[in-house]
Amino acid sequence: MIKDITIGQYFPGTSPIHKLDPRLKLILTFAYILTVFFCKNFVSLAIISAVLLVTVLISKISAKMLLKSLKPIIVIVILTSLLQILYTDDGTVLLEWWKIKITSGGLYMAFFTTVRIILLVAASSMLTYTTSPTLLTDAIERIFSPLKVLKINVHSIAMMMTIALRFIPTLIDEVDKIMAAQKARGAELDTGNILERGKAMVPIFVPLFINSFTRAYDLAFAMECRCYRGGEGRTSLRVMKLRARDYITTGIFALCLVAIILANHFLPAVI
Amino acid sequence: MALLETKDLTYVYGEGTPFRAVALDNVNITIEKGDMVGLIGHTGSGKSTLLQHLNGLLSPSKGQILLNGEDIHKSKETLRATRFRVGLCFQYPEYQLFESTSYKDIAFGPKNMGLTEQEINLRVQKAAEFVGLTKAHLAKSPFDLSGGEKRRVAIAGVMAMEPEILILDEPTAGLDPKGRDTISAMIENYRQNTGNAVIIASHSMDDVAENANKVIVMNGGKVALSGTVDEVYKEVDTLLSIGLDVPQITEIFLKLREKGLDVKTDIYSLAGAEEELLRLFKERGVRR
Repeated sequence: MIKDITIGQYFPGTSPIHKLDPRLKLILTFAYILTVFFCKNFVSLAIISAVLLVTVLISKISAKMLLKSLKPIIVIVILTSLLQILYTDDGTVLLEWWKIKITSGGLYMAFFTTVRIILLVAASSMLTYTTSPTLLTDAIERIFSPLKVLKINVHSIAMMMTIALRFIPTLIDEVDKIMAAQKARGAELDTGNILERGKAMVPIFVPLFINSFTRAYDLAFAMECRCYRGGEGRTSLRVMKLRARDYITTGIFALCLVAIILANHFLPAVI
Repeated sequence: MALLETKDLTYVYGEGTPFRAVALDNVNITIEKGDMVGLIGHTGSGKSTLLQHLNGLLSPSKGQILLNGEDIHKSKETLRATRFRVGLCFQYPEYQLFESTSYKDIAFGPKNMGLTEQEINLRVQKAAEFVGLTKAHLAKSPFDLSGGEKRRVAIAGVMAMEPEILILDEPTAGLDPKGRDTISAMIENYRQNTGNAVIIASHSMDDVAENANKVIVMNGGKVALSGTVDEVYKEVDTLLSIGLDVPQITEIFLKLREKGLDVKTDIYSLAGAEEELLRLFKERGVRR
């Protein structure tokens, strides 16, 4: 059951999207998410959606995988759209019944919100789908390295993120194993009231914590044995360097951005 | 009627995803009362998946598991009862200990069975005795014990439920030779004293050769060989083609055959080896 989580998953590949500089991918994803919220009419929304669609096609990530990443947000999407429909008073009234008033403004609002949430989640999923966790944290480290001036230890934070990401699957496996073992001794994990269920978690979490601490010690030893002493003076195996494809991608994205700004400026805003 | 029986047991992982894999393919095995079964197979041969079916932790994609002739998935009650009647002790069981004292940890299973305090106490003492834990051990936190002692606490935790079938997945993995012998002896002692069936899964033939009265060899989710120790060990070629190591004694005779000596290669016990070597000596005129 825990194995169905897709957030943060990575699908190895060799597409141009996979090969983009992870720093650039990270920054572009942020820029993309910001842009999504500036699209105020159908034309600009269509352009920004097309950008994602093309990215997905180039990356060869299957549509099924992408839809799977959207599954957890269905409830949020439905709820926000409902609220938008019910609580927006702009535009022409389409339907009025008792206290409920549905307006064209409300429907537009709901549509835009839905598309925006979907694009937002899909775009961030695309980032993790096409970038390995190590590359991603490497990129974060590089991007935030100027913060060293403020005495923030960016390297340590990035290293912690890498380790945390690395151990998610291990811990999921471990929870599965411990759960099976306690069930084999007759533990009932999914029956009873909240208090009973909470209590039933003790045999799962105590071993999990203890094993995690043991593992942390082992890992620390292993790192010290390989002379790890933090980020000071440490060089990297992968030197990140912007290549032609990175400049081209940035150029294309910039053009789309200009198109969206123009569309927003010259065409009437829907919402 | 067999005590425990699987009928065309098939299990498919991740049906409908790119990761689909057949873990068990029409597995038919029977376990009788008092059996000592050795389940042999590589990592990924499906033996752990099979074990988890026997106490209903996994439910089959196809086929049945019958305990005393009754499908263990018939109802929620039968399934829960099965957990106590078929006790499963996982690989590296010491990683599931969680209680503040070893006593309490061993008592976890019996407590879940809803037994009285008195009965629980009795069973914990009995199980502790089987695995050679003293009163001092029982009062200690399991986390203060040595690796081998932790393992014994964990095994006692399953024994205390007094299952009709005790299943142990690689009970001696990661132990030193002495610890291995101790655990094997304890398990055999438990079986002889209680008359309950025991299944031991292992990737090593040597582990089970001594006590098992039945051996099941798994390969690629299928039962590759099954029968008595003699019958299975005779199939040296099959065992080797699966990539399982044959008993060390057999290996010696295989090497002798390679060297051009005319010896039998279906030898797996000390007595058989002696007999064959003596025969050879005699043939070649070597005097004792």
